[in-house]
Parts: sequence; C-alpha cells; structure tokens
Amino acid sequence: MSVNIDTLTAAQIAAGVRAGEFTAADVARAALDAIAQREPEVQALLQVTPDLALEAAEHIDAMRAAGADLPPLAGVPFVIKDNMNLAGTRTTCASRMLENYESPYTATCVQRMLDAGCVPVAKANMDEFAFGSSTESSAFHPTNNPWDLARVPGGSSGGSAAAVAAGMAPLALGSDTGGSIRQPAALCGVVGMKPTYGMVSRYGVVAFGSSLDQVGPFGRTVEDVALALDVLTAGGRDPFDGTSQDAATSFAASLEADMAGKRIGVIPAFMEADGLAPEVKSAVEQAARVLEAQGAELVEVDLPHLDAAIAAYYVIGPAEAFSNLARFDGVRYGYQEPACSNLAEQSSRSRAHGFGTEAKRRQMLGAYLLSSGVYERYYRAAQKARTLITEDYRCAFERVDAILMPASPTVAFRHGELSDPTQMYLSDMFTISLNIAGNCGISVPMGAGADSGMPVAAQLVSAAFNDTTLLQVARALERGYAEAASAPGCTVAPGFAGKGGELA
Amino acid sequence: MRELKDVLQDWEAVIGLEVHTELTTLETKMFCGCKLSHDDAPNTHVCPVCLGLPGALPVPNQRAIESIVKAGLATNCQIQKRSMFYRKHYFYPDMAKNFQTTQGPVAFCMYGGLDLEVSGPGAAERPTCAFGEGEAASLASASANAEGLSRQMAESLPEYGDTPVTSEYYRESGPAAPVRHEDGSYTAPIRILRIHMEEDAAKMVHVGGQEGRIGGAAESLIDYNRCGTPLIELVTEPDLRTPEEARLFMEKLRRIFLTIGISDCSMEKGSMRCDGNVSIRRRGESSLGTKTELKNLNSFKALHDALAYEICRQAEVLEQGGVIYQETRHWEPSRKRTVVMRVKETADDYRLFPDPDLAPFDLSDEFIEHCRAELPELPDAKRERFEAEFGIKRADAEQMAGDPDTAAFFEAAAAGTSGKAAQAVANLVVNELAAYLKGAGVALGESGIAPAQVASLAKLLTSDAISSNQAHEVFEAMAKSGEDPEAIVDARGMRQVSDAGALQPIVDEVLAACADQAQQYRDGNQKVIGFLVGQCMKASRGKGNPKLFNELLRASLEG
Repeated sequence: MSVNIDTLTAAQIAAGVRAGEFTAADVARAALDAIAQREPEVQALLQVTPDLALEAAEHIDAMRAAGADLPPLAGVPFVIKDNMNLAGTRTTCASRMLENYESPYTATCVQRMLDAGCVPVAKANMDEFAFGSSTESSAFHPTNNPWDLARVPGGSSGGSAAAVAAGMAPLALGSDTGGSIRQPAALCGVVGMKPTYGMVSRYGVVAFGSSLDQVGPFGRTVEDVALALDVLTAGGRDPFDGTSQDAATSFAASLEADMAGKRIGVIPAFMEADGLAPEVKSAVEQAARVLEAQGAELVEVDLPHLDAAIAAYYVIGPAEAFSNLARFDGVRYGYQEPACSNLAEQSSRSRAHGFGTEAKRRQMLGAYLLSSGVYERYYRAAQKARTLITEDYRCAFERVDAILMPASPTVAFRHGELSDPTQMYLSDMFTISLNIAGNCGISVPMGAGADSGMPVAAQLVSAAFNDTTLLQVARALERGYAEAASAPGCTVAPGFAGKGGELA
Repeated sequence: MRELKDVLQDWEAVIGLEVHTELTTLETKMFCGCKLSHDDAPNTHVCPVCLGLPGALPVPNQRAIESIVKAGLATNCQIQKRSMFYRKHYFYPDMAKNFQTTQGPVAFCMYGGLDLEVSGPGAAERPTCAFGEGEAASLASASANAEGLSRQMAESLPEYGDTPVTSEYYRESGPAAPVRHEDGSYTAPIRILRIHMEEDAAKMVHVGGQEGRIGGAAESLIDYNRCGTPLIELVTEPDLRTPEEARLFMEKLRRIFLTIGISDCSMEKGSMRCDGNVSIRRRGESSLGTKTELKNLNSFKALHDALAYEICRQAEVLEQGGVIYQETRHWEPSRKRTVVMRVKETADDYRLFPDPDLAPFDLSDEFIEHCRAELPELPDAKRERFEAEFGIKRADAEQMAGDPDTAAFFEAAAAGTSGKAAQAVANLVVNELAAYLKGAGVALGESGIAPAQVASLAKLLTSDAISSNQAHEVFEAMAKSGEDPEAIVDARGMRQVSDAGALQPIVDEVLAACADQAQQYRDGNQKVIGFLVGQCMKASRGKGNPKLFNELLRASLEG
C-alpha cells in the first residue's frame, strides 16, 4: 500500500519510523520528492538541503537498526525559516546582505529539533529580515499561497507556512515579532503558534526586535505543534539566551482536555473592527459556538489600551531593528561593496545596496525614534503603552482562560495588492498586541471562507506561560470544528495533495 | 608659556577624570565564555557573541558584576540594586555589533568618593588662595555647572520610580573645602559620580597611516581578543584642582583596585586607562570655562604632565584673547604637548536605549553583602593599622599598604616587632626591596625573596651588626643566592666591629694622617666629620661601626 507523505502528521511519521513501517530515509526522500514537485509553483524555499536531510535520516535508521531508543520526532522532516542558523547552510534572512552568509553555529531551536530526530529538508523564504506580512519583501522571490498562487502566503514566515500548507513537510519553524507566525498560518490554513516570550531560545535566530521576537512551530494539527513545542522547550532554559526561562513542558501529553468550566473571552469591539472581512468574522463566530458547544463559557472582556498596540509596535520594533541590524556593515561578513576608498564609504554603500527598501525604512525609522530629543516622545511613550497593554491582558486573564479573536483581518490578499506600507502594517492588527505583552497565541484553521474559498482562521491567546491551556483550547476547537464541519484534519492545500511525495 | 605654579595663582583649573579599568583578574569576557587574554595570537579568543555574528546573544558574567560592586563598595559608592544595560551605537569596526553594551543613567555604583591626602612638594601646586570659603564657593559652582547628566536623566527612568539613592559621602552641593595644615599638606574630598559596567572594544592597528591613525592607512587590522573584555568606567565629579591631585587620585584608585583584586591595573599595558577633562577659569569666577578632553595618558607622569601642559596652554590662549574649543586632545609625551585629535562640533548621538537582550538587574541584599564580605582590608585602613600596630612612618605605611603583595610581605617580615625594629623592616622593604625588584624587573612573588630573610637582615641592622651600607650588599647577595643574611655576613666576614677598644687605634691613626681636617673641625667646621668617618671606614675595610667611629672621633677631637 502506498501512502503520500502529505497525509501523515508528524506524530504518525515518528510512530511509523519507530514501528518500522517505513524508514526515515524513505520519509526524507518522499519529502524531497514532494518539494521537487510542488516547490516550482509555491516558491516557498530558499535552499533545499537533501544531503543534510538524508544524512540525518540515515543516522536515525542506523540508530533503529542498532536497537537504540529513538528520539521523540525521529524521522520527521521540517523546514527552517531562513533567519535561523544551521551550520552547513546559508542563513540569508532573504536579504542580499546575507546572500552568501554561512553561520558557523546552529541556533538552539534548530539544534533541539535535530536532537529530537527531526530531519532538515529546507530553509524557507521570508520577508527580508522578517520585515513584512506578505513575504513579498524577500530579496530573492515572492512565495505563492498554495491555495491560490496569485495570492501571498502572509508573512514574514510565509515560506514556512506555505511549505507546510503545500505538504512539503509536516513541521516548520517560524519566528513571530508582530504576528509573523500566526498571520501566515491563518492565510495558509495551517496551525501556527507563538509561544510565550522566553519559552523558546532566540539564540542563533537573527534578531529583528529582541523584546518581541519569539520562535514557534507550524504544523497541520494542533498535536504536531504541541509535539514541536515539547521539543523546543525540552532541556529547559537556554544558558545562551539570557531572556529565556524555564517553563512547563509535555504539552502534547496534556492536549486533550474537557472544555467544561473553561472561560473563553470574546471582545465585542474586535468583532466590529474596521477592515475585518465578513468571512473571517463568521469563522471566529463559528469558533465561539464550537467551544461553547463543548462546555466552555463565553465571557465578554475588554482590552482598553489595545488601540495603542500598533503604534507602540512601530516604535519598539524599528528601534530594536535599527540596533540589531547595525552589525551588518560589510566589514566582517555579508555583502561588501567593492572598490571603496575608505571605511565610511564601504559601510554606507554596503548597507545602501545590501538592504532592501523595507529593511532600510525600518532602520531609518528606528534611528530617528532613538535620536536624542525624540526618544522621550516616542520610545518612552511606547514603553508606557506596553506596560498598559500588558496590564490589560493580565486583568483579562484573571477572568478567562483564553481569549478568542481573529488572527488576520482578511484572507490572503493578492500579490501587490497592499502597496502602501501602512496598509500592510494593519494586517497585523490582531496579532501585534501579544508580542507587546509577551503572552502566547495560536492560529487555528477554520476551513475555507464562504466568499473567497481561501483559508480562514481563529486566533486564541492566553496568559504568559499558560501555553498548556492555550494548546488545550486550540485542540478542543480543532476537534470540535472537524466534527461540526465533518472536515478531515491534516489537509494540505487542494491543488497540491498527492503531488509527488509517495512513500515507497 | 608661563609656569603652572604662576598660572594657578590667577586661574583655577577644574579637572574631572574618567578612568577605565579592565577586569583582568576574571577568567572570561563580559557577555560570553571566551578567555581573557592580553598576549595571545590575534583573534584566537573569539566566538559568535563577541564577534557579533547574526543571532548571537549576550549573557552577563556574574563575576564581573561582583567585581564592580566591590569597586563601588571600596570607593564609598551607593550600590544601585536596580540598573540596566544599554546599547550605545556608533559605527566603527572595533565594536563588532556597532554598538557597545554599557550602562545608562543608572550605574551599578553611584555617588561615592575618596579623601585625597596631598603632601610633599606636590601640595604646593594648589596655591594658598585655593582654600577656605572661596574654595567652597568654587566647588559648589563647579558642581552646579557640571552637567548633572546622571541626575537629570535618572528621573522617571524605567529603573526608578524615584531618583537613585545617594550616599552620605556625596553631597550635590559639592564637597567640603580642604583645609591646609601647617606642614603644607591638605586633605581634599573627591566625589565619584558613578562607576558603570561595559565591554571593551577590539584592538585596531592601522598600518601605513600617520601616527597609527586610520586616516591615510593602507590597511587596518582588528584583534577581537579584547572585544568584550569586562570594563568598568569610573567618572569623578569636577572636584580636582591640580595635576598633582589628579595623579594622586589615580594612584589611590589604582592601589584600591589592586587590593580588592579586580584588575592588574597596568597603565602601561592599558588595563587601566585615564582620560582627563580640564577647563580653567579666573579665580573667583562662578561659571565654568570650556573643557578639553585629554587622551593617551598612559602613566601617572603623563597624566600629571599633560594636565599641567594643558592648563598652561589654555591660560596662554585666554590671556592672549583667544578661545578654547571643546575638543579631544592627544598627549605627545616625546614632545611634551597636547595636540588636537578631533573637534566636537555637535554632541554625538549614540541613540542610547535599554538593551532588550539583557534583563534589568535587581541585586539582592545577600549578593551585595556577599561582595562586601569578600572585600579585603583597604589601603587606608591598612595604613592606619600599620602605623598603629608597628609604629612605622606614615609615608612608608602608605606606600606598603597600597600594594597587596608588598603589604603582606611586610606583615610577615615584621611580625612580632614594633618601633625601631619594625621601621628597620619597613626601610628595607620600601628602599632595598623595591629598588632590587625594579632593577631585576621581577614581581615580588617571583623574586624568591622570603620575608624571613628580610626580618633577619633587619635584625642585623638594629643590633648594629652591620651598617646600612653593608645591608645593601647583603640584600643583593641574599636576593641572588636565597641564603640567610646571617650566613652571608659571616661568610664574608662583614660583621661590623662595634668594640670601642678595637676602633680607637684606627681613629688615632686617621687623626694623625689627617691633621688638616682635624684642625678644621676644631676651628668649627663640623661637616668635616663625615670625611673623617669615611677615612676610618676605609681604614677598617668597612667593618667598623660608623656611628661608633663618629662618637670616638668627636671625643678625640673635642677631648
């Protein structure tokens, strides 16, 4: 009997490898075949790593042959956002600046996936240095939404989301600074989670906004995302990241929970927000009914300062980005402008030609916001707003276990449709406040929208370090929705199912 | 140019220091696990963090925080429990991230100070007019005018609801004015604004440019071994008034830092560096003049001489109707002058903001008390104790107390003694030992000289068994051979003759041979006795006790 890799979850692949139903090398070859067949249309990837994948898979198979205990996700292919270091590959951040940059070391999050037996198949496209919500600012090529190639996959982790949605791999890593995991997950119809800030090490992930960035997984099921989070947090806090913290683990084991007695917050103002597409609104309303049907109580909550979140974000994010990207000066690595006569000229020309428009816009904005005289007015004000927003969430979570809201205000838009940067910034209106407050959130697919036929989703958010509850509610929503809609779980975008990727 | 002494009669110099000290006694860098090294091959102690590679993150070195807290406690600072690291941005390849991780308005240590005892010829640099009420007014006005950068910025900071805790030592109105004592010495309280923690930059070598500067260089080499070395920067208030005070402050600070063991404090190697800010104003004026910043002050002498030069230069410019520009000036020791390095037309904008990769600190009382408990006896306390316990001269006590190895050596050698016997040990340590180590170019610990040897030599001296001239010879011999001084004295037959019966014939002989000098003495020229003692020593082949010769000669001549 032949099985296509795109029908299997990460959990099923690991179980199959463990049981000897197929080898890790079979899985890796199938994933590479799926990539070969599907990637030309999706353009989700910047590098495919067959040698590393087969080497890792053969190592798993050798372990099994030797009778050794297999790690939890042995043989599961995964895709890595290209702002994460993996020794032996380029880390480009989808920028000319780092087009040929190879990191000598591996990021902690990637290493933990490798240690868990995961097989790296590719590095994924993204908005340049994660600045964007559509993956259109990649210096190399845009990525197409697997549900409609004329549309964007969202961003900045658009390549990771599209690769999972197109069935190239069951898992992918992304990073989320203002919604960069949850928004593309919503637009591509997959599960994407931003864990609580500090849960997953940022060491080895090229920084955008250090106080906002968080690494998280994409999967086609909540269980797969929970399994990946188990792995990412295994081993506790990372001694190489001073902002990482010890946190609860075994998310997958505690996934199935009764919703009776759970209180789910809803924010009426959000449901009436300008720009919220009706099909997205009805998906979130359906999610509320699904959770209610399982015994959860819906409670209205208010987050009074949330309207300041986007403004605060576009001060803190660019300020930190300006600082974090200052190191790219063409002196030690990265793009170096040839034939310059002095250091100042080399640095400024390397930066002028190495960075794309959005990267330059954010850095110039940050440089301005941090300059003396201006600092008080914007940066200090943004920090005050941050305190108020964090406090809003804290108060809300005294009353509810999780809050339900949209992830993206719309379904995936067409390439080039949002040409005004400030319009693009609004596509993160429902996701940004979580990065400001540091708590956790997840985007759960709710099928296809009635108007566009594109994926719609609901976002669940919970209190800091309450990721276990968040995943339980997300799993309940996924389970309830599948029953209500009689929809099968773990589906890939319709046009790509079964295209290459047969397990021999 | 006029002499400093004259200039300071008319002009008052207002001096503040910024002192950078590398925490060389630590094993690893400030934010990564790379080993600290001074002499290893370039770029051999580097990692993703100190090279600022994409994705790398800093993790603070707890030992470094302990060191700076100790430095603060030892200089009467108030330890600020809540402080943060900030990023200070500037584009230059000596900082791999193009920002330096340093501290913001609130430093780990703030509002301290040291009492500076100024005596000897250097005390005369401060003219008589710079004491008393006028000086109190001067200090207050300098404080008021000096940019209260810290205090202004510290209000409404993320670290603080209120302004930082100040100390008893530190008065915003300015320190108490010093009082001159009868012997010309005085004690000046010098306030320390802050000591903050930061990371050092890489070392750059510019090849082919003028005087090693980047301008016109054919190529520039960067050694990142030093990049990320833990560095503390101490900033004084503008309370110093003479180059001598600046030098003494720096010396005192160095002795304290050596004693608490946070650095090797080598100005030569650059592990302790000092920049001087100096402006001058007419005596009695209350507003401050334009200051210049002096660099390349890599010895105590350079610090003193550069400030002295700069004060005289500024006075000359102003007296000729010129203008002082706010600029950074480089001290050229070979030509004994300062030259312009760069002019500051506008204040640099470093875009300082809290480092989001490093969580704010909240030091516990336990941590601070643990640091306090680890502090050894500080130089001032040790000096007082040496004076009281051993009855030795204050200057000697001060000198020995300032160097932990020397102090420990003295204590071991002088154990159980006091008064004359202890002073004999002190004399040997301060004179013979110091001169020997300097000449041989070795550190005390590596010299092989034992405290017992010096104790034994001191005993020979106090019992008049040898003369102080002989002591020098014995010291050299024992330092080289490691033998006991008693054995050396016996083997060389050096034991001093202190028997009057044996020496009287020599005295008679000398007086007979030097009838002229004898007559001069009788005619009232007392000084000639030195010559006659010398002749006696020569005749006794150095073995006679010179003091006894002196007595016998006087008795014979006057008798």
